[in-house]
Amino acid sequence: MAMLTVIGIGNRLRGDDALGPLVIDELKLMNGSDLELVDVGSDALSILEHLSDKKKVVIIDACKMGREPGSVVSFSPEEADVVLDHDPLSLHGLGLAEALRMAGSLQMLPEDLKIIGIEPESIQFNSQLSRTAQQAMKMIIEEVHRELQNSKRNLKILL
Amino acid sequence: MSRDLNIKVHHLTRVEGHGNIVVNMKDGILETAHLSIVEPPRFFEAMMKGRSFHEAAIITSRICGICSLGHQLTSLVTTEAALGLEISEQTVLLRKLLVHGATLQSNILHAYFLAAPDFLKVGSVFPLIATHPDVVLRALRMKRLANDIGDIVSGRAVHPITPVPGGFTRIPEKAELLEIKRRLLEEGLPDGLETIETMKALAGAIPQFERETEYISLKHKDEYALYEGDIFSSDTGLIPVENYLDVTNEFVVNHSTSKHAKYNRNSYLVGALARWNNNHSQLIEEAQAAAEAMGLKPMCFNPYMNTIAQVVEAVHCILDSVRIIDKLIENGLKNEKPNQTPTRYGRGIGSNEVPRGILFHDYTYDNKGNIIKANCIIPTGQNLANIDDDMQKLVPEIITKSKEEITLDLEMLVRAYDPCISCSVHMLEVDFIE
Repeated sequence: MAMLTVIGIGNRLRGDDALGPLVIDELKLMNGSDLELVDVGSDALSILEHLSDKKKVVIIDACKMGREPGSVVSFSPEEADVVLDHDPLSLHGLGLAEALRMAGSLQMLPEDLKIIGIEPESIQFNSQLSRTAQQAMKMIIEEVHRELQNSKRNLKILL
Repeated sequence: MSRDLNIKVHHLTRVEGHGNIVVNMKDGILETAHLSIVEPPRFFEAMMKGRSFHEAAIITSRICGICSLGHQLTSLVTTEAALGLEISEQTVLLRKLLVHGATLQSNILHAYFLAAPDFLKVGSVFPLIATHPDVVLRALRMKRLANDIGDIVSGRAVHPITPVPGGFTRIPEKAELLEIKRRLLEEGLPDGLETIETMKALAGAIPQFERETEYISLKHKDEYALYEGDIFSSDTGLIPVENYLDVTNEFVVNHSTSKHAKYNRNSYLVGALARWNNNHSQLIEEAQAAAEAMGLKPMCFNPYMNTIAQVVEAVHCILDSVRIIDKLIENGLKNEKPNQTPTRYGRGIGSNEVPRGILFHDYTYDNKGNIIKANCIIPTGQNLANIDDDMQKLVPEIITKSKEEITLDLEMLVRAYDPCISCSVHMLEVDFIE
């Protein structure tokens, strides 16, 4: 079983929103068996299928955090007040915030869940990844590897 | 009743593209009742122009996280029509299996997460998690099964990768298909039957409202049409898919950045209810029994019953998927390569029934296999005029209710259509706790 599950969320057609899936692509190129890599595209609700029975999960998503574009922030759900953004007229408002809340209520959250948020510069349709997001990609990948090292260290302590 | 009423349901989310309900009545006379759409301008044509036939389906599948498979399949059949690519029986069967998975997933999500909270008057799915966790878990289990059908057949459930013009780059293994069949029968079917019981219990809360309209869907001579067929209007009969522009007749209205559509009447309805009305006799027997159990009868003129038609289709998709898997295995899985040698270049028009209704793509290719012109007409756009017409009939009928009750009835009406107002990004908004 993989030590760490990494889930990328985002729409590849929408500028910096593509970062979640693109990080998954990059990690696939360098992956050993330690990581389970999941690209859920923009169907955030699908993360529920990948959370249960997992010890440690990292979710990568573009987040509106009020920081400088390109900022990368790693946080746990308890450290942040995610704003529910449910458009009550359609299912398309069901985003990561709603999926996390649902997972919490159904007691499906893994023991250790980290969200790596990237503040996007642009999420316009049909736009390219911004320079700041390209730089952020490296930071995110380093962060994922740091999380992986942490899990390995914790496993050693347990053993 | 002489009354002033002013309803504005605004959704000022950051998510681009949203709908606002606007109703205005003065001295008992209805001045306005419509769904106003604020959506970014058409990006489809610009996005597709210059793309090669290998890229078209990949791009369209990413327009939307929920409708990805529908756009992808319609894109493939459109490209195949334009380039004269023949496809095998096995490809058709695998695609039909994909359509069933996508329809099952979408219909179940809508019924449980959007409509059930309405019927129970609890506002959203979240209170249901506390009161009915087993029901929410059942919905998630069914969503997962549907997703796994997509995963096995297309390589990746959300943004499928193996379906390409001319066929599939990978054919699923027999064992994988048998495992899906086992789960369809052992998990999917019992969950589907439980869903009927749940919806039966909720059916009393479905508003009694009727407005006969024109119902448009695909129709196929041999089966309940989802993947292929001709256009069928409940008013005028069959129309070839190539003549779709005669049906959609898009026109601009002031209150919507999304165009409206009309054919034989002022408006028409697409989606599960239209498919039910036009093709109900072709559903698998168990699905017809489910319809009867939940009180859905042909012809049904109540748009709120769309949800019930979706559940009926879910049962059909579960059982028909088993039939398709049996057929694939009986035929023997062949490791075919996709046929990607164009026999012509030019215009192609494709149509499928996606969960929300009939979808059209229309591409013109140059002789290098690159797109020079593209058009796409989505189901929700075709339903907008019909939603407005429903509202205009509904408001006077429920005018003695309180403003809050009227607002809820109107929101439920819009939700019953399962609108895909925006195929958009869902960005997490975070306030850090200092």
